[in-house]
Amino acid sequence: MEQTVTLRSARFRAEREADWRLLESLVTQAERRGLQRMDFASARDLAASYRRATTSLAIAREISLDRALLDYLEALTARAYLCVYAPQERLGGLVYRFFTASAPQALRRSWAFILAGVLCMGLGVLTGYLLFLENPSWYFVFLPPEMSQGRSPDATTAYLRSVIYSNDPDTTGLGAFAAFLFSNNTRIAIFVFGLGVFVCLPAIALTFYNGLGLGALMALHVDRGLGYDLGGWLSIHGVTELSAIAIACGGGLQLGAAILFPGTRTRRDALQRAGRDAVKLALVAAFMLIVAAILEGFFRQLVQDMTTRYAIGWGIGLLWLAWATLAGRGRA
Amino acid sequence: MRLFRRKRNRPSPDIIQSPEGVPLTLKVAGLGVRIAAQLADLLLTLASAGAILILLAVLNLTEPHTLFGIAAMLFFLARVPYYVITELIWNGQTLGKRLMKIKVVSHDGRSLSTHAIVLRNLMKEAEIFLPGTLVLTLDATSPVASLVALAWVIIAFLIPLMNPYRQRLGDLLAGTHVIHLPQPVLLKDLAQHRVPVETEGTRIAFLSHQLDHELLVALVREGAQRVDLGLDVFHLGTLARRRHLAVPVARDEHQLVLAPPPVGGEHRPALLGDAPAAAARSSGGSPRG
Repeated sequence: MEQTVTLRSARFRAEREADWRLLESLVTQAERRGLQRMDFASARDLAASYRRATTSLAIAREISLDRALLDYLEALTARAYLCVYAPQERLGGLVYRFFTASAPQALRRSWAFILAGVLCMGLGVLTGYLLFLENPSWYFVFLPPEMSQGRSPDATTAYLRSVIYSNDPDTTGLGAFAAFLFSNNTRIAIFVFGLGVFVCLPAIALTFYNGLGLGALMALHVDRGLGYDLGGWLSIHGVTELSAIAIACGGGLQLGAAILFPGTRTRRDALQRAGRDAVKLALVAAFMLIVAAILEGFFRQLVQDMTTRYAIGWGIGLLWLAWATLAGRGRA
Repeated sequence: MRLFRRKRNRPSPDIIQSPEGVPLTLKVAGLGVRIAAQLADLLLTLASAGAILILLAVLNLTEPHTLFGIAAMLFFLARVPYYVITELIWNGQTLGKRLMKIKVVSHDGRSLSTHAIVLRNLMKEAEIFLPGTLVLTLDATSPVASLVALAWVIIAFLIPLMNPYRQRLGDLLAGTHVIHLPQPVLLKDLAQHRVPVETEGTRIAFLSHQLDHELLVALVREGAQRVDLGLDVFHLGTLARRRHLAVPVARDEHQLVLAPPPVGGEHRPALLGDAPAAAARSSGGSPRG
């Protein structure tokens, strides 16, 4: 008597319900504990019964079934789809791959943009330097007083020297680290990258402006015969930090260039493509800024000798360069 | 006019084309639920940054005048990796999103890439947090900067309202959008569920929607003699014709008797009228009277 009352939808359901229940439990398991911790058999069953559920769904949509069953199948299949098509790489593996392969590869691919960033800043430094030599009052235009720590053309040479070789405990440690990270240069790096989208111009202008201030500061110190000392003071963290700004600028320029010259793609497509490398550049720049903050917060005041400062600063710069040019060569 | 037409022709934003070729329904999450998830995440990151700050203060690693800077740094350092790492681990869900049962999915139906997750969360910094902090920290002395930051925040909130997938700028760049997590609930099969029918000997009362060819066949096999039909005989005639059933019934008839199937004959039950008894029984409840 029971088996005679078999509607089409009831038969459809009776044949497949066990499989759906299995899929439901596997999906819950995958969501709770993660795909990586599931055993081989469960993972295999998940994929197989997901595909069967998609077939069921496709059939169920074509034949008339009750709405509740259709809704259940829709939800179950969608939920399983989200489980099956999940990123399947471990976090550690991702970080490892980023530093050993994808980041240096991205840096090499976008060398032209980074070079453009370096040129922007170099031109800014040169312009600031020459303008200061022509007329010292330019200094106040390029460096607002709150940024220059009292180092202005009015300050004495002794004061300038004392800033370079200060050993004030207030400016070391965690406080200085935090202060640096939120200092002018980090903000410039963020803006330079983010504003690159607006057809490159703000990125170029900001990088150039950053160089202007630096050039004026250098000119002031060279003028007072403190050029080499300032070089040491700057290079201990500046090599890393200014490279980070140049790389951020390179990333921004890449985004801007994608909008300006999309080629045969649509602008949106081009932007998404350029974003792949640009984001990696931004991450590298952020990482370098954190390293620079550590150098500034903990090492600049510890190392008082000028030559050591040069050695540390440029040594680390060389390490960055070696990483960018040599790492991740073997992989595709 | 043009706009309206385009809107009508656009596929529903709730459909995602899966790699299997079966379109799946995943409802796009609105702004409200996303803001709620965001607030939960903000509370969590703020609390963790606060805890670390208190630890540092207890260990005497901070100075009063650098406290604010360190607090801002800790919040920043807790926040940025938090979103990226949680979305990587839980496949597009932060704790707040898990709480609100929403999820980030890839727009093209493939799996979420690391790149997309990193990009959409970095853009969140530029889109919301940077101008947000500017709005909060700027004062009345610099109204232009405050207004620019405010306009920025407003535009960042308007962009999702402008597109059907409710994507913010980071979503647009990363090719993602946020959906409601579907909840599969399998109800009981109504066909298998025995509805208590009014039986009186061999008479069974049916409602019109319960009348089905297969059911009729089943009843005939069961040996039912008469079936009460709560529907108009005229309709029944149409139904019967569609089902290839012979129904020689009168127009004011409300009751049918099923003849047992011919033994070894064709699979076609006949519906026969039983006029006097039916007219007497069901004239009271019938709309036609």
